[in-house]
Amino acid sequence: MKQSFIHKLANFSFMIPYLTLFFVFLIGPLIFGLGLSFFRWEMLSPAPPKFIGLGNYQEALIDPYARKALWATARYVVMAVPVKISIALLLAVLINTLTDSHQNFYRAAFFMPAMITISVGGILWRWFYNNEFGLFNTYLSKFFGIKIPWITDPDWAMKSIVFMTMWWSIGGAVIILMAGLKQIPKRYYEAASIDGASEFEQFINITLPLLKPILLLVVVLNIIGAFQVFGQTFMITRGGPEYSTRVMVHYIYDTAFHYYRMGYGSAMSWILFIIIAIFSTLQFRLSRGKKQNA
Amino acid sequence: MKRSIIAKIIGAIIIVLVAIIIIQKWTHNEFSGRTTIRFWNGFTGPDGRTMIQLVKRFNADNPDYHVLMQRMDWSTYYNKLFIAGMGDRAPHVFIIHTDALERFVGADFVRPLDDLTSSVNGVDVNDIDTNVWEATERDGKHYGLPLDIHLLGMFYNRDLFIEAGIVDDQGNPVPPTNQEEFLEAAKKLTKDIDGDGRNDQWGYVFTNFIQNVYTVMNQYGGTFFANDYTESTINNQANIDALQFCVDLINKYKVAPTPEDIDSWIGFLQGKVGMVFAGIFMLSDLSRQQNLDFGAAPIPLLGTQDAVWAGSHNLCLRSNLSDDELEGSWRFIKFLSENSLDWAEGGQVPIRKSLRNTDRFRNMTAQSEFGKQIPYAIYMPPVGFGTEFAREYNFAIERALRGRTTPKDALDMADKNIEKVIKHYLENYKKYR
Amino acid sequence: MRRNTILIEIFIALLALAFVFPIILIFVTSFKPDAEIIHFESILPQQWTLDNFREILASPVEIPIFRWFFNSLLISTSCTFVVLTVTSMAAYALARLNLPGKKKFFAVIIATLMVPGQILLIPVYFTLDFIGWLDNPLALIVPAGSSAFGVFLLHQFFKGLPRELEEAAVIDGCSVFRIYWHIILPLSKPALATLGIFTFIGSWNSFMAPLVFMDSVDKYTLPVGIALFQSSYSSEYGLTIAASLICTLPVIIAFLFFQKHIIKGISLSGLKS
Repeated sequence: MKQSFIHKLANFSFMIPYLTLFFVFLIGPLIFGLGLSFFRWEMLSPAPPKFIGLGNYQEALIDPYARKALWATARYVVMAVPVKISIALLLAVLINTLTDSHQNFYRAAFFMPAMITISVGGILWRWFYNNEFGLFNTYLSKFFGIKIPWITDPDWAMKSIVFMTMWWSIGGAVIILMAGLKQIPKRYYEAASIDGASEFEQFINITLPLLKPILLLVVVLNIIGAFQVFGQTFMITRGGPEYSTRVMVHYIYDTAFHYYRMGYGSAMSWILFIIIAIFSTLQFRLSRGKKQNA
Repeated sequence: MKRSIIAKIIGAIIIVLVAIIIIQKWTHNEFSGRTTIRFWNGFTGPDGRTMIQLVKRFNADNPDYHVLMQRMDWSTYYNKLFIAGMGDRAPHVFIIHTDALERFVGADFVRPLDDLTSSVNGVDVNDIDTNVWEATERDGKHYGLPLDIHLLGMFYNRDLFIEAGIVDDQGNPVPPTNQEEFLEAAKKLTKDIDGDGRNDQWGYVFTNFIQNVYTVMNQYGGTFFANDYTESTINNQANIDALQFCVDLINKYKVAPTPEDIDSWIGFLQGKVGMVFAGIFMLSDLSRQQNLDFGAAPIPLLGTQDAVWAGSHNLCLRSNLSDDELEGSWRFIKFLSENSLDWAEGGQVPIRKSLRNTDRFRNMTAQSEFGKQIPYAIYMPPVGFGTEFAREYNFAIERALRGRTTPKDALDMADKNIEKVIKHYLENYKKYR
Repeated sequence: MRRNTILIEIFIALLALAFVFPIILIFVTSFKPDAEIIHFESILPQQWTLDNFREILASPVEIPIFRWFFNSLLISTSCTFVVLTVTSMAAYALARLNLPGKKKFFAVIIATLMVPGQILLIPVYFTLDFIGWLDNPLALIVPAGSSAFGVFLLHQFFKGLPRELEEAAVIDGCSVFRIYWHIILPLSKPALATLGIFTFIGSWNSFMAPLVFMDSVDKYTLPVGIALFQSSYSSEYGLTIAASLICTLPVIIAFLFFQKHIIKGISLSGLKS
C-alpha cells in the first residue's frame, strides 16, 4: 500500500512541470480573464476596478466598433475558409496524380510562403497592393487600363486580405489533405475504373467520403484559426479603411493596449471564445452524427 | 538519416549559442561605469537618424552618462510607454506630443520641469513661443520642454506649376494664398494626360485626413469642445461647411481624387499631384527624391481666419528619478534643446526663437516658410481621450470624403460617439484626479 | 489520359511559380534603389545596388536586425526545448502510467485545445506582470510549455508503442524515469521531431506575443522588429525590403534543408488527430 503510494507519487511527478504551466498560463488566466470581464478596469485611471456584472457584455452588444469588428471577422471567415479549403482540396487532388518526386517538389513550393513571417509577408503585399507603384496595379493598368483600389476601398480591403492569406497559408492544408489522400487504398479507384466510373464520379463517390474525417479536421482548424486572424490585417491595412478590416482580435488588442480598457477587452475575448467554441462543437457534433448514420 | 537530423539540430544550436554569447559581449562593453539614460521616441524614419547623431554626440561629450535610445513607430510607442510606465519600466527621458500630454499627466508619471528650467542649469523659457510653452502646462506646472513645432504646410510641385502656367513675370511658380487662388491653381493642375477620360494628374490630394481637415475646419472658425472639454461641438455649422468644402474638392470642383483612388503621398513623390498639405517632417522624404523639384509655402487661407494644424515634441522626464539619473537626463534634454537646429535640419522647426533668428535657419527654406505660421498654429484638443477622439474624427472624415454619407451626418454621428467617450472619461478618469 | 496529366502538370507548375514568385521578388527588389521601387518599371532592377544592405550593415545600433535575429533563434530554440520536455513527460504519465483520474484530466486538456491563445492575451499579460517577466525573453519561452496540442500529439503516439518493452524493463527493476528516458523517448523520435518543428516554426513566426510582452526594441524578435519598418512617415522601401530579405533568407534555406521533415511532420499531425 505504502509502496503504491510512493509509486503514484513518482508517476505523478511527471505531471508536475506541465500541471504547473497548465494552471499558471492556461487555466489560471482563463478564469482570471473571465473574472476580469465582469469588472470595469481602466488601466490608466487611478480608479480601482469596479464590479459591473454583465456591463461589459452589454456594452459589446451596442458598441458600433465591436459590431464592425465582429462583422469584419465574419466576412473574413466566410470568405477565407471555403475558398481556402476548396482550392487546397483541388490542388491536393491534382498534385496527387503526378509522379512522387514532382509531388514533393510542388508540395514544398506551395508550402514555402507559410515559412515567411507575417511582418515580411505584410510588407511585401502592402507593396503589391499599393495603388501607385504596386505590382498588381502597375500591370493591371499597363495591360487592361484599370486600377483596383485593393486596400484603400472598404469594399475591397477584406477581399485583398483573404487573397493574401490564400498565398500565405494554403500550403499546410494542401499537405494534410494530400496525406489523407495517400491513405485511401488504390484498389478502390481501380475497382471503380473497371466499373466505368469517370474521374469526377470517383472523386465524389470515393475520395470525398473517405477523406471526410481529415477534411473535417482541416475545416475545424481553419475556422478556429480564421476567427483569430490578426497579423495580416495588422500589417497590411492596420484595420482600415473605415475600420472595415479591424477584426475581433485586432479590436481586442486595441481596446486593451490603446484604449487601456482591460475589463472590456476581456469580455470581448470571452465573446470570441464562445463563438469559436460553438462552431467547433457544432462541427464535431455534425461529424459524429453523420458517422452514426453511415 | 535520423542521426543526421539530430546532428544538424545540435550543430545549429551550438552555433546559435556561440553567436549569442558573441553578440552579448559585443553589445555589453564600454558603457560600464556610466549611468545609463534610457531615451525613447517614435522617430523611426529619417528624423530618427538625425536624432541618433545627436545622441552619439552627447555620449561622446559626456563621459559620465550614456544615453541609450530606442525608437518605435508612434502608435506602438505610446502603447509601450504607457504600459512600461504602469509597470515601472518607463524610460528616463521620453517624447510626448503636446496633444497626448493630458493622459500622461493624468496617469501621474511625468515629472514637472519648472524647478529645472528655472535652476542655475536652466533654460530660458521666454525663448520659447508662448502658445507652445503654455500648451505643456497643467495646473500651473509645465510637464515637458518643447523641442520643436511641426506644422502643416503646403508642398507644391514646381515643375507642374510652371507647366500649368501658374507663374509670375519671371516665370517662377506662385503658390496660392487664398481659396480663390487655390481653386484656380488646382483646376489648372488637374489633367487627363493620357486621354482615357480619367484624370491622372491632380491639383490637390488629401494626405493625412485629420491634419488636413482639422486645418480647414479651424480656418472656417470651427470648434470642437465646449465647457472645459466636457461637451462635444464637432458638428457645428462651421465644421460642416469646412468638411463640405473638402468634399467639394473631390466631387464639385473635381480637383482631388477620392481617397481610394490614390496613395496620396506616393502620388506627390511621383509627380502626379500639384499640391499637398503635409507636415514639415515629410521634408526628409521629399529631399531624397532626385527628380522632384518641390517648393514649400504656408497653407493658403481657405476659410475666414488663419489657422494651421501643428504638433510639438516635448522632452519629458519620468517622475521617480534618482538624483544621478535626473542630472544626466536634464543635461541631455538641455543639450537637445540647445542643438535643436541640427534636429531642425531633418525636417522640424525649432521652438527657440533665438535659434530661428539665425542665418542657418533662414537658409532652411521649407522650415522657415512653414515656421511663419507659428503664431496661428493650433494643436489637437488637449484631451485625455485623444486616441478615441482621433478615432471618431478620422472615421467621420473618411466616410464623408468617400461620399458614403453627408458631412452633416458624418459629424453628427461623430458628435454622438464623442459624447459617449467624454461621458466614459469623466466617469472613469476625471473625477479621480 | 496522358495529355490530361501534362495539362495538370503545367497548371500546377504555373501556380507553384506564382506562389514562389513573391519570394523571388523580395530577393531582386532588395537590390533596387528606392526611386526604382516607387517608379515601378520592371521586375529586375535596371541598376543593381548594394546600398540597402550597406545601410543596414552600417547601422547595427539603429537597425539591430541581427540582434532580433538572434533573439528569435534563442527564443524559438528554448521554446522548442521547453515544450518537448514538459509535454513529453506529461504525455508519458497520461498515456503509460497508472494515475488516478487521468482520463478525466486528459479530457480537460483536450477541451483546452479549443481555447485560442489570443483570447488569453490580456490575462496572461497580467500573469507575466505579476511574475515580473514582462520585457523578458522568458515570457515568450515558458508559457509555451502549457501547450495542450503537444500533450495530445505525444499522448496519441505513446499510446501506440508496444507494452512489452516497458514490462520487460519493469521486471528488470527499471524506474519509471529510466523507462521514460531510455525506452519511450528514443522510440518516439518521429513524433518529437514533428512537435519540435511545429513549435519552432510557431515560435519563430509568432507576432502578437512579442509585440505585447516586449518593451525594449533590442529584445524584439524578428517579426516584430521588421514590423517597425512599416513607419507611416517614411517611404524607405529599399531598406525595408532588404531587411525582409535578411529575415527571410535563413528561414528559406532552413526550409529547403528540413523540408522533408517539416512536410512529414505536418502530414503526421493531421493524420494523428
